[in-house]
Amino acid sequence: MNENLHTRAERLIAQERIEGITKSEGDWLAAHLRECAACAQVAQQTSDALRTLRGLPVPLPRGLAARTQFRVQLRAQVMREREPKRRLLWIMCAMSWALGIATAPYVWRAFEWAGERLGMPRLIWEMGFGLWWTIPALVAAAIVLLESVRLANENDQAR
Amino acid sequence: MADDNKALAQGLKRRDPDLLDQLIEQYQYRLFRYLLYLTSSRERAEDFFQETWIRVLERGHQYDGKYKFEAWLFRIARNLVIDWQRQKKMQSLDALTDPEEGAPMEFAAQNQPSPLHLVLTAEEKIGVHASLDRIPTVYREVLVLRFQEELGLEEIAGVLAAPLSTVKSRLYRGLEALRGAMQGGAA
Repeated sequence: MNENLHTRAERLIAQERIEGITKSEGDWLAAHLRECAACAQVAQQTSDALRTLRGLPVPLPRGLAARTQFRVQLRAQVMREREPKRRLLWIMCAMSWALGIATAPYVWRAFEWAGERLGMPRLIWEMGFGLWWTIPALVAAAIVLLESVRLANENDQAR
Repeated sequence: MADDNKALAQGLKRRDPDLLDQLIEQYQYRLFRYLLYLTSSRERAEDFFQETWIRVLERGHQYDGKYKFEAWLFRIARNLVIDWQRQKKMQSLDALTDPEEGAPMEFAAQNQPSPLHLVLTAEEKIGVHASLDRIPTVYREVLVLRFQEELGLEEIAGVLAAPLSTVKSRLYRGLEALRGAMQGGAA
């Protein structure tokens, strides 16, 4: 029998189980397996190997689910407790930005006045005004960062 | 099915405690089996099992319900194992992500008894275990996902974050290795 036929049969045996094959390919394979004992054996071995893999038992550690459920509930509780703090932070940020926008003209004038009084170049007090605006964001970022670090430490300790 | 997944996604977004309890019960066997094959360590598999569910709680809002929940779950578990490997610096990232071009990925520590040694009965150990042990983890992983978990090829690609062609190639090689290993084990 042609070598290519066996190669094709072996490819189809695997393909049938991995991706599936067309009906015509299936018919061809079935006919080939009826005639070729070697390829039929490959097909049988493949089926046996997969059956063994599928039927392999893995005993679960005792109480794994219960222990996990307990840990998850604890973590959920901690997250629920932190939720209001996080919300408060966002509210404060939003209020800070709103106030910042509302008071921007006054703050600008204050910086301008202070700059002129102190004899600063315009660029310097303008930069000062820009920095003033970033303060709420910087504070919020610092709080979030500190909280993340604390959370990571807690997780490490929990392990 | 799609509606079920959407309901699941909404529950995860709410961090519904009853839903999480139910999911842990429902998927405990499959997740633990997958992790055991991936890590080859019962203790590590237990640790990663718990960590995976903590991640599910924390990142439940990221599950959109478009794909099977188990595919998302396995991906989280796999990423945790990879992160741990990265921290341990036991293997280069290249070897983890592109095993076909280098040494096959081995999540399991080489000097430890494999999970199959630990969990199978003495009779089963004789053939099956020794045979499966010979298959590199990278192939065993896709075999488990395809033939035990019965995930689709696209879903496996999602879990592995790898192209479909890579998944197929690993499956073909894995199946060949499995057949060869079983024959060798039986001999």
